[in-house]
Amino acid sequence: MKRILAISYYTFRQNVRNRVYYVLFIFTLIMVFVSMLLSVLGGEQPMRILLDFGLVSIEFFALLIAIFTSVTTITEEVESKTIYLILIKPIPRWYYILGRYTGILLSVWTSMLLMYAFHFLMLTLQGWHPGPDYLYAVISSSLKIAIISAVAIFFSVFSTSTASSLVFSVFIWIAGHFSTEINFLTGKMEFLPAKYSVKILYYVIPNLQYFNWRDFLSTGVSFFRWMPVAVVYAVAYIGVFMCLSSVLFEKKEV
Amino acid sequence: MTDIMEKNSIAIKSAIKIETLTKIYRRSHLGRLHTTTGVKNLSLEVKTGEIFGLVGLNGSGKTTTIKLILGLLFPTDGKITVFGNPMPDRKKLHLIGYLPELPYFHKKFTGKELLVFYSKLSGMDRGLIPGRIQEIAGLLEMVPYMDKRISDYSKGMMQRLAIAQSLVHDPPLLVFDELVSGLDPLGIREMRTLVQKLKERGKTVFFSSHLISEVERVCDRVGILHGGSLVRVVEQTDWQRTNLEDIFISEVKK
Repeated sequence: MKRILAISYYTFRQNVRNRVYYVLFIFTLIMVFVSMLLSVLGGEQPMRILLDFGLVSIEFFALLIAIFTSVTTITEEVESKTIYLILIKPIPRWYYILGRYTGILLSVWTSMLLMYAFHFLMLTLQGWHPGPDYLYAVISSSLKIAIISAVAIFFSVFSTSTASSLVFSVFIWIAGHFSTEINFLTGKMEFLPAKYSVKILYYVIPNLQYFNWRDFLSTGVSFFRWMPVAVVYAVAYIGVFMCLSSVLFEKKEV
Repeated sequence: MTDIMEKNSIAIKSAIKIETLTKIYRRSHLGRLHTTTGVKNLSLEVKTGEIFGLVGLNGSGKTTTIKLILGLLFPTDGKITVFGNPMPDRKKLHLIGYLPELPYFHKKFTGKELLVFYSKLSGMDRGLIPGRIQEIAGLLEMVPYMDKRISDYSKGMMQRLAIAQSLVHDPPLLVFDELVSGLDPLGIREMRTLVQKLKERGKTVFFSSHLISEVERVCDRVGILHGGSLVRVVEQTDWQRTNLEDIFISEVKK
């Protein structure tokens, strides 16, 4: 456990000192400022625009940071051969995967926390006091980011190319937001091989719609009934992808 | 009990024993399978406490042999034991300190931060880490550089740091891949002195090089690798009679 924490802390510090991380963070701040301008122009519902634009841009930049760091961390470490100095230590390889994942997640969540704090402050300064829905949105986005980070880590272990890992991870993110539509399509398909292929795809890709809290608002489902289901789903999905990554990495020659 | 078993395993005469080791790289490209032989039928024994050099031309299989010992690659056939322990066994990697060819570190960390990290991964007691790092830094004359970032390090200092991480957990076996590669004459001389000091402390040193003059000066025995095969093991007494370079050239030109 101490050694997993050592890798996790090392990854966190590595990411925090990475300039790309700062650039994305500063860019997000600029986007939130832009949203302030838009809110002035928005007329009827400036607060809603500020709220939505801020939440969307925070999630978008957190996604960029998560995918970029998850994909590049392992691939670059293999290419630069710095991974040798970790893998020749007396640790099981899954420690490395879990340490890297938790370190990446910690750094992405930290950046999200800072961005949310800034966004929240801006909303408060504009005279709007976000209710508990804001907190629910934060939890939902954080869970989505945790899932996509696990997926990106899997691709970085599976693939030898950073570009293909990035493309696959972005594809999963997009497809994950259309799970219901994919499931609907399978019902309409008559060609059985295609139907079953798409059905498999439906089960393999994460259903990120579970984490769109706003979609559940209109259904009257209580947050406290919805959230445990979403958390269990996220933990199970991450667990499966961590296991798959560990199994693949165990057999990987570097 | 474990300590006694550990000491017994170190007291075994063979530090490294390689039996009929073969490594064939298989790479698939556009449906076609390409195979390359890394090493074939390699049998070799390194005695505890000796300095053993592995020499060969570029691509002769030196790095492949080292990676197979460390479990970074998996053998196609044959077996390896380190102090009587069948490899790859990650739990036994604490017995080995490894210096990679062209070591590379994340440039944003300081030397001390990295050594603390590698010490933790090696399972060292936290309380012992600062003292041990101080000792190693003193041995390698790098005390003034310990709090500097790696980005400020010269190539020679990077090499020292890489050696420091291999020594920090005090392993009985040191595996150095191209120990003096890219070092200036002063650096080469310091490395030579270091290897002698390690031998005096009872360590076994196994290193690869294509600089025959260096191998000749420090080694007790030398293995000549050519085309993935061990063509000859030369004793110190042999090259005291005849030049090692001449022996090497006659073997690779056969």
